[in-house]
Amino acid sequence: MKQQQAKAAGEGASTAAKKVTAAQLRVQKDLTELSLPPTMHTHFADPEDIMNFQVFLQPDEGFYVGAHITFEFAINLNFPHEPPKVKCLNKIYHPNIDLQGNVCLNILREDWKPVLSLNSVMIGLQYLFLEPNAGDPLNKEAAMDLQKSRATFAAHVKNSMRGGYVGPEKFDDVLRR
Amino acid sequence: MKVRIKEWNAVSIWHWNVSEDEVCGICRVHFDGTCPSCKYPGDDCPIIIGKCNHSFHMHCLLKWLELETSRGLCPMCRQPFQTLGEDEVITT
Ligand SMILES: [Zn+2]
Ligand SMILES: [Zn+2]
Ligand SMILES: [Zn+2]
Repeated sequence: MKQQQAKAAGEGASTAAKKVTAAQLRVQKDLTELSLPPTMHTHFADPEDIMNFQVFLQPDEGFYVGAHITFEFAINLNFPHEPPKVKCLNKIYHPNIDLQGNVCLNILREDWKPVLSLNSVMIGLQYLFLEPNAGDPLNKEAAMDLQKSRATFAAHVKNSMRGGYVGPEKFDDVLRR
Repeated sequence: MKVRIKEWNAVSIWHWNVSEDEVCGICRVHFDGTCPSCKYPGDDCPIIIGKCNHSFHMHCLLKWLELETSRGLCPMCRQPFQTLGEDEVITT
């Protein structure tokens, strides 16, 4: 009798509190173990929702020094079997990011594996800004630009970050905040 | 003096034959606990050890290997995942 009552109460509680999924458990672990460099931090618009959040990056060296870049992380219930979906919310001039904000990072695509943590993804994103990779481009013009001359590429990046044009395309001002 | 046994609790301690502080790389839960979809640790939620020496909860690993994107590779070292032969599986 007592057991039945306990069971019923338990069931009531679990439906009220919503079942915590395997993906959420894993995300929770990853988030508590985050150790990001001072150039990065996370922001939870809804603290109840740990599956959707933003990551801010402010590179302190490289082509993009001084920029404020925001990424959106959307993690679905198949995590960690599927990688998190990451979008760059700023329109920036970068060989590995297209004008819609899609990010080409190998560990977010073909090289994803479930043992990778959210921390390693975030560090990977930062690396993309320290060392843009012309070999695996989403923005072909930017990649060719970088391949031809690092100095011209750097000048174009600088101009784009101020909200200027590169070719016909106007980019977001990411230097101010 | 008579002693009446009112209650008796069987207590036994066991753990998988893997290093003490090892966690499943997929769910990040200690191997003495279950994978996230099981309630009771033990034979119902076994651990699979690959030839590459990486181990995972069987349920966690199967879910990964079922996906086309896994290409049958170990979630840790990306070598094709092969289990140790039947009689080599450690269950105590
Ligand atoms: Zn597991
Ligand atoms: Zn299980
Ligand atoms: Zn392995």
